[in-house]
Parts: sequence; C-alpha cells; structure tokens
Amino acid sequence: MQDNQQQAYDRGITIFSPDGRLYQVEYAREAVERGSASVGVRTAEGVVLAANRQTRSPLIERESIEKIHAVDDHVGVASAGHVADARKLIDVARQQAQVEQLRYDKPVGVETLTKEITDHVQQYTQTGGARPFGVALLVGGIEDGQPRLFETDPSGTPYEWQAVAVGGGSDEIRSYLEAEYRPETDLGGGVTLALDALGQVEDGLDAESVEVATVDAESEQFCPLPPEEVATHLEETDIGGDET
Amino acid sequence: MTDLTGGRATRDPYEPELVPFQEGGSRTAQDESVAETGTTTVGLATRDGVVVGTDRRASLAGRFVSNKNVVKVEQVHPTAVLTLVGSVGGAQSFVRSLRAEASLTEKRRGDPLSIDALATLSGNFARGGPFFAINPILGGVDEAGSHVYSIDPAGGVMADDYTVTGSGMQLAHGTLEGEYDPDSSLEEAETLTARAVRAASERDTGSGNGLVLATVTGDGVDIEEYDDATAVL
Repeated sequence: MQDNQQQAYDRGITIFSPDGRLYQVEYAREAVERGSASVGVRTAEGVVLAANRQTRSPLIERESIEKIHAVDDHVGVASAGHVADARKLIDVARQQAQVEQLRYDKPVGVETLTKEITDHVQQYTQTGGARPFGVALLVGGIEDGQPRLFETDPSGTPYEWQAVAVGGGSDEIRSYLEAEYRPETDLGGGVTLALDALGQVEDGLDAESVEVATVDAESEQFCPLPPEEVATHLEETDIGGDET
Repeated sequence: MTDLTGGRATRDPYEPELVPFQEGGSRTAQDESVAETGTTTVGLATRDGVVVGTDRRASLAGRFVSNKNVVKVEQVHPTAVLTLVGSVGGAQSFVRSLRAEASLTEKRRGDPLSIDALATLSGNFARGGPFFAINPILGGVDEAGSHVYSIDPAGGVMADDYTVTGSGMQLAHGTLEGEYDPDSSLEEAETLTARAVRAASERDTGSGNGLVLATVTGDGVDIEEYDDATAVL
C-alpha cells in the first residue's frame, strides 16, 4: 500500500507527496544536471553567456549543437538540459518579445520576458497529462540600459543573478563564481571569468567546443563571439588553451 | 495543451503568426474622419542601394491637412523600409505587424529574411488583413541586390526598378519616366526622388509639406527629413 502510494506521487505531476514535494519537478531538475553546463556573468558593461557543446562524435557538425540562442536584438538565452525542451521555451520567448514590440512598440524587459517564460513553465507543473520542461535557461540582456541576468528552472521559478551556472557541475561552478566574481569587471573580464568557470568542470576547453555570446550595455545588441575571439579569451584564462 | 503542433503546421500563411487577424475586423476607409496619407511615395532601385522618398502630409479626405510632418517611411527589417500609404491607422498597424514577424523569423533562422520573402509576407498580410486600403512601397537590399516592390491593397506584389504609389503617383511618374537610370549613384537617385516628390507636392492636394528620404544599402537604413525638397536638389 505504502509502495503504491509512493509510486503515485512519483508518476502524477500534479500530485504532491505527503511531505510536500513534486517528484516530477525534482526529476526534471535531475535532467538539467545531466546536461553540460552553461554559465552567465553580469558585468557593469553587459552580460556574458557561455556554454560547452558536448559532441558525441567527431563527425557531427558542431554548429548544429546550439546552446546559446538570440531571442531578441537585446536578449540571449543559454540552456542546460533537454535541448528540444529548450527550443520550445526559446520560441515562446521569441514570440513574446515580438508581441511586446507589437503591443507597446518597446523592447521587452529582460525581467518581463523571463517571467513570461517561467509562467509558461509553471503551467506544465500543474496540468494533468503534462510533463515539466527538463531544462534550465539563463536569460541575459539589457533593460533600460542595465545588464540583467536571470535563471529559469523546471518548477517555473525566476531568479536573478550576478553570476550563475546551470547544468552538470553547476554547484562546483557556482562556488568558483562566488569566490572569483567582481561586479565592477568589464565585459572582456566577464568572458574570461565565464570561461574559467566552465573550465572548472570541463577538461580541455577549446574555442571550437565553447559557445560564447555577449549582450553589450552600450549597443544593446546580442552578439555571438567568433571562435577566434573565444580563442583569444581562452589564452587569458587560468585553464588556458595549452595543456600543461 | 492539446494542440501539439503549437498551431504552426496549420497556421494560415496569410495571417501574422503573433496576433492573428480578428474575424469581421475588416473595414473600409470611406469615413472622412480617418486620417489618410494622400501621399506620394517613390522607390528607386540602383546598383548601390535603394532610395525611397515620401512627402510629409496627412490629410482628411485630401481636403484638410491634418499633419504637416509625418514620417511616412519606416524601417521594417535590417535592410528594408516600407512606406505608409492609405489610412494612417491601417498603414501603421501593417508596419508593426510586418516588423514583428520579420524580426521573429530572423531570430529563429539566424539571418534576416531576403527581400523577396519579405515582399511575399507583405502581400499575404495585405491580402488577408484588416488594414483598410493601403498601398505601400517596399524597398530593400539583400545578397541578390537592390529591390523595389509595390504592394497593392488586394495583396498584389510587383517588383520593379522604380515605382510610385499614392495620390500623387501620376505627377511623380512624369518626373521619373525617361530619367531613371539603374546605374546612377545613390546621390543621383536621391536627387531624382526628391524631384519626383516635389513635383507631386506642387500639384497634388494630398501631398506636400517637405520630404523624407530613406537610403537603404547592405549596411542598413538611413532616414532623413527635410522641410523643403529643394534642399536635396
């Protein structure tokens, strides 16, 4: 009897366990942990997003593994977890960004957009027959000239961060960021910190496998970094391009 | 939650994806209290880019000048502009829809739409939507070169080297005919556009009050306003 009930909490997304937990949401968080990490760093000059692409085979075209996406001119999203789930959420975000533009003729605020995403995610924790999104997103952009960085998780909760990691090894990366983060750093310093942070859990980072994008506070433009620039930054990091 | 396609597979291509048209929303622009951009809008394609020029007058039924400094050409794409011709409300809403849809597609695919795709999208919206009578010009530059299209109220899309829409179109065409040269420089094209808008402004009661010039190249869009078209001649 006890076992059956336990199973029921386990299966039903909309059913709380007696101790108040939603197991499916917690399992979705596990799915995020199984993905490779993404890092976000907020600096005075803009926001940095960095992610590591896991390639299963040298034959795969690396560009087809997308972990960082443009959502609007001034907002980008990095993901960790199920890529397919991430794509659905990113499309929700892209549509909402344009709906805001259509409705008010204003670029969508990063906080507003994040909450549009998390409200969508939350519906999937309270609707029968649904499964939650197995993905966490970092939403980085510029709002009223200020850099903003948010995290969304599978429960549909938004969090704002100065620097954060999601995905595999994120605990270790967050500890590193807590020790090394300096709010006054410039955008280039932010890129280096993000790469250093990723390097805490990934061996042998190279410019081809890392995806980096920035949203500059001055231009308010989302901008993926070309591999040559990533390589330059990698040389500045402690992990370095050269293995010792 | 039951629509697993997200609606995308079955979505009406004649409608914007973001905010579909309302049922029974179509109206006609017969009402004299509706501001119209009587208007002369001119588009020229040259090798180096596209020049689009408009007058700055809004009127009520062409008999009363309701605004003297309307900017009737707007950027809708990184390298394309659209003119506002017809009812002001319809044209503005058309521009907003087109800009939002083009931007959404660009973010999804990573590259801006080609200009012929943008023209098709414009034609589809004009055909399907409640935009009153609008008759814009779409001018833009892409990898295939410089393009000018006229979009008619029924959704007709016609590519041309140069085109004119609005109440002053015959007058402006009189200036352009025989003068247009596809090999002209952007400056020469700007001058010819200004002459055409000026000719129409002199004789068409729906057009006047200066000039707005948009210049589109592969690098982007530049829009300048002039109180008097002679400033560019």
